[in-house]
Amino acid sequence: MLEVEGLAAGYLGERVIDGIDLEVRTGEAVAIVGSNGAGKTTLFRTIAGLLPAMSGRVVLDGKELTRRPAHRISRAGVAYVPAERHLFPAMTLKSNLVLGAYPRRPDPATLELVYDLFPRLHERQRQQAGTLSGGEQQMLAVGRALMARPRLLMLDEPTTGLAPIIAQTAFAALEGLKKEGMTLLIAEQQVPLALSVADRGYVLENGRIRLSGSAEELERNPEVQRAYLGVV
Amino acid sequence: MTAVVLDGIVLGLAFGLLGVGMTLVYGLGGVLNLAYGQIVVLAAIVASIVMDDGRATLLAAVLGVLAAAGVGVLLDLTLMRPVYRERGEERTLLGLLLTLGAAFVIGGVLTWRYPDGALYINITGDPVSVLGVPMTRGSIWASVIALAVAALLLLFFGATTFGRGVRSVIQDEVGARLVGINPSFVRTVIFALSGALAGIVAISTAMVGPLTVNAGFELTTFALIVTVVGGLGSVAGAFLAGVLLGVVQSLSAHYIGQYITTIILLGAAALTILIRPRGLLGR
Repeated sequence: MLEVEGLAAGYLGERVIDGIDLEVRTGEAVAIVGSNGAGKTTLFRTIAGLLPAMSGRVVLDGKELTRRPAHRISRAGVAYVPAERHLFPAMTLKSNLVLGAYPRRPDPATLELVYDLFPRLHERQRQQAGTLSGGEQQMLAVGRALMARPRLLMLDEPTTGLAPIIAQTAFAALEGLKKEGMTLLIAEQQVPLALSVADRGYVLENGRIRLSGSAEELERNPEVQRAYLGVV
Repeated sequence: MTAVVLDGIVLGLAFGLLGVGMTLVYGLGGVLNLAYGQIVVLAAIVASIVMDDGRATLLAAVLGVLAAAGVGVLLDLTLMRPVYRERGEERTLLGLLLTLGAAFVIGGVLTWRYPDGALYINITGDPVSVLGVPMTRGSIWASVIALAVAALLLLFFGATTFGRGVRSVIQDEVGARLVGINPSFVRTVIFALSGALAGIVAISTAMVGPLTVNAGFELTTFALIVTVVGGLGSVAGAFLAGVLLGVVQSLSAHYIGQYITTIILLGAAALTILIRPRGLLGR
């Protein structure tokens, strides 16, 4: 579904990521793991169109997305949930969700699906987004992304700022989404959590793909175990 | 006293519209349009030319508003492009400089070509009694127009998909892009709307008294003050602040003197920044 070929991007002429090749197939959950500063966010921002690619291509279902503006990529079916969430703080939770469907009217069935996935959001739908807790904001960010009924959902560090128990719940929700057939691309520093939900994974180091393989292969890989899984 | 307050409200409603036009553009990307008063004057001059040509007042008003909206779009598509490519302080400074330049160009050309230019729309009819005070038909019409436009604006921003989209860009531009909103298109539409509001202010104030070709900078000053007091990007706040400041202006002009009113209004703005920097209804 998503094909990334030789992608390079960065800031002020410096390449933060370079030569990235990756693929996400329909219905798959793919994890991008790596330490802080490895380039995960840069990669996601480039795919989402918030940062221009310096070279390489991004293709979704055979459609070239490279260097298209972010709003066009969003409308093409790629929903990106950044770690900072970028909600609309002075609007109600419900308005945030409604805007997720922009420019279409919100689909009632999708809204129901979001509320089923996160019953908490239903309880608080009249509350201003800026007053929600970190976990609720994360749920809202995912919910808003789902309202567009995306082909691909990209989540950058979905557990940022969440207590461990809430992070587990968040990943349980992602598991549920995957069962519904959603295609997921997840960047996560908490590698065990990421590999628990993913089918396949890529290890990003210093802006390049270091390793790739199925989740089981990566979990068994000694390098991964040493660097990310705390196995000595 | 009642009469002075009522006059202040009539004036304040026009201030409110001015403030909305200014605050929306500011909210959408941090640009204070210092040419705003000159766009009001441009609308007034266009309308006065059409009226001098012997055409109907309504046609003159519509053409004035359209001309102002057109100038708004033109500004956005030309001068504002490099401004929005910058970020942060550079954007603010470049925006101030370029719109100030536009103010001098528009104001200069208009005073050079039409040194005695002025718009006055005389609405005949007996005064109407409001709370025992006889108000001219012009004042009544000006207020009705301003209130109707305010109601439409609140409806637009509160209940339409595009209006919500505009608010989302004001609150978080990256978030807006991620849900599929094109901020650049939103800005162009809002520049057009802001221009149209400037045109409406020109028409409505000309129903109360003559609007002369050199009123530009005074109008910009009022709009700036209303923006500061009302709060960034808040339509309701701009109207509230406009009415409040209109009453203050009217009272101080009546009891102290015309010369002091702008100073008092600027004082109110300074006080707002000190006490409540977000403005009355700002976030």
